[in-house]
Amino acid sequence: MTTRVRPRRGDPALGSIALVALGLYVLFIVVPVIMSAWKSLTNENPLLARADFVGFSNYTEMAHDSTLAGSLGFTLLLAGSVTIATNAVGIGFAMLLNKTSLSFRMMRTVAFLPQVLSGVIVGYVWRYILARDGILDNVLVSLGVIDRPITWLGSPHLAVLSVGLVATWGLTGFTTVVHLAALQSIPVELYQAAMVDGAGRWQRFRRITFPMLAPGTTISVTISLITMLKLYDIIAVLTAGGPANSTQSTALYIIQLAFTDDRYGYASAVAMLLLVVSIAIALSVTALLRRREVDL
Amino acid sequence: MRHKRPTVVCLAAALALTGCSAASTGSGKSGSTLTYLTFETPSLTATFWNTSIAGAEKKVPGVTVKKIVAPTTDRDAYAKQLQASGQFPDLLQSITPSTFATAGLLKPYDQKWVDANFLLPKGNAYKGKVYVPPTNSQIIPEVFYNKKLFAKAHITAPPKTWSEFMAVCAKLKAAGVTPVELGGGDPFSASMPLVGILSADVLGKNPDWLKERYAGKVKFTDANVKAAVGKYRTMAEKGYFEDGALGVKYADSIANFTSGKAAMYMMGSWFLGSVPKDHADDFGAFLTPTEDGSLVVPFSVGGSMAISAKTKDPAKATAFAQAWSLDPANYKALIEGDGAFPMLKGKTLDDYGVNVTKVFEDSYSYVTRQNTKVSSFGWATNDDSMPSGLNNAFYSASQALFSSDDVDGQLAKLDSAWDSATK
Repeated sequence: MTTRVRPRRGDPALGSIALVALGLYVLFIVVPVIMSAWKSLTNENPLLARADFVGFSNYTEMAHDSTLAGSLGFTLLLAGSVTIATNAVGIGFAMLLNKTSLSFRMMRTVAFLPQVLSGVIVGYVWRYILARDGILDNVLVSLGVIDRPITWLGSPHLAVLSVGLVATWGLTGFTTVVHLAALQSIPVELYQAAMVDGAGRWQRFRRITFPMLAPGTTISVTISLITMLKLYDIIAVLTAGGPANSTQSTALYIIQLAFTDDRYGYASAVAMLLLVVSIAIALSVTALLRRREVDL
Repeated sequence: MRHKRPTVVCLAAALALTGCSAASTGSGKSGSTLTYLTFETPSLTATFWNTSIAGAEKKVPGVTVKKIVAPTTDRDAYAKQLQASGQFPDLLQSITPSTFATAGLLKPYDQKWVDANFLLPKGNAYKGKVYVPPTNSQIIPEVFYNKKLFAKAHITAPPKTWSEFMAVCAKLKAAGVTPVELGGGDPFSASMPLVGILSADVLGKNPDWLKERYAGKVKFTDANVKAAVGKYRTMAEKGYFEDGALGVKYADSIANFTSGKAAMYMMGSWFLGSVPKDHADDFGAFLTPTEDGSLVVPFSVGGSMAISAKTKDPAKATAFAQAWSLDPANYKALIEGDGAFPMLKGKTLDDYGVNVTKVFEDSYSYVTRQNTKVSSFGWATNDDSMPSGLNNAFYSASQALFSSDDVDGQLAKLDSAWDSATK
């Protein structure tokens, strides 16, 4: 038997913990964002000691930057398609794995594995799989599916598709676990009542499972979107943004602007744009999905 | 509570020490400690750097050199990171001088010393000053070819004019041989054919084209540049590269060419270090052919180390850099492994104790002979170097032009990128 000690209101220990958390948040999130916002109004170059205030010229330049437009378009396409795909697959996997036997518990662990791996490792592994004459090509050729190797990462369209598939693979473990947790919170009685009423499998999914998954879906979709909007590591290793910038995410472009082109000021402005776009999308999607939760 | 203050003081002291020690450069009665940014490759190993540093240290009493190894071969990027974090090294090996000299971060060498010791004293001078001793050079690119595959297609001699080159490509393709290997999966490698064609056609006719681009007198969208890029498009359209070339990494492209999967390979002369020693005579080299067959050598003078303008002991840093740069022993690995052409005055290949191939000697003769040398497009380290960030745009355009015939659009993008980078 355990005794739970309820924290008293005004407990100084709680205040200290909150202060530490708040301090870390301010130090590592708020301060860098403010610094970045300030730098975005300058022409800071890492090699020069002096940076001049340039007003909003970095922001007006963005309007004419075709590379930025391309990277933003790719990032939004990737975020949208991967979020839909990874959550659809995640719901499917969650339903398949929603059993309690040991073998299913082991399979859940396997399904979660990609989420544990760092993006760099995921990128390296898939680079070997998708390389010309790589594992995938060899398997497909030996099975007679294709007669000559396909350059999965060498053609702009296929490279976009490949990055999307790898990102989906990497994120599906997370969406599976979130939806599995949501599935396990659905009362069994609802299904029993529906079966008594003669509801089939599809009706049970449509009328019970899918609506009851809503809270999990809100979390899963929002986090998937944010993850994809700032995706850097997998792309940096898998394609380095190529070929011909076809897979250059906005995050990758920011790194290039800052550390290759020596344009900290402009890179900061693009980073601020990405931040605003991410916040706007995350808030809109969350509001939309929460409305669905309220409708239950 | 009693222990809080000492803990804070200790932490602050530890942080301060960490910050100070990372960029330590000291001088005193006991001597100087200098930091030296290097990079490692299969031929420039840790042992090479340790040995060469020890050799130069012996010649400069009272100097101790602390080696910093860049995490990749992109030492410019790492030098920028070190500068941004207040740890700019005292000495920096083989960086691009223009990038750092414009920011006043480098100390120029004494021109008399440079004039006295190197074949092309102004070979990599930036705005009239030498920031890196011009110790070695490269031809970027050469067109390497496989003599056996040429013979298989009944080609008796390497082409001299562009039309002969096209005919050679057509013959090879008809014989079932991939005419030109392209490691298009790595952006710099993807750009090599364009570097060769632009150097030969544009810089061959107007060696000051890049300086004029800085002055706004010429543009990428000009007809002569468009015509040169059109040649590359023709090669791609006619299938003279393999279909999936943009999926081939640089390392794989070397393996493909040396194993006989393609007949020609446009690459920097550093490829000479990868020519298989056991059948080196199967390989030859020529330069990117021009319309009229005139010889244009796309040349890039590299060098050893730059000296930081911020170093606390400029005399010792200079003495160390000079000792390292003049030691023939340090050239052996560069020549044999990286195919670098040595540029020390009064020396022959024998003075470096190297064992080089026939194709190396043939290539080196382009350097030593009197001929038309122009800056290699995008690889120059002198006043013809491109502004920061342009190389990425150029590489990207090279990849795009492999599969897109929007030459005008890609060249307009390059003009736009240039204008942004230089404003």
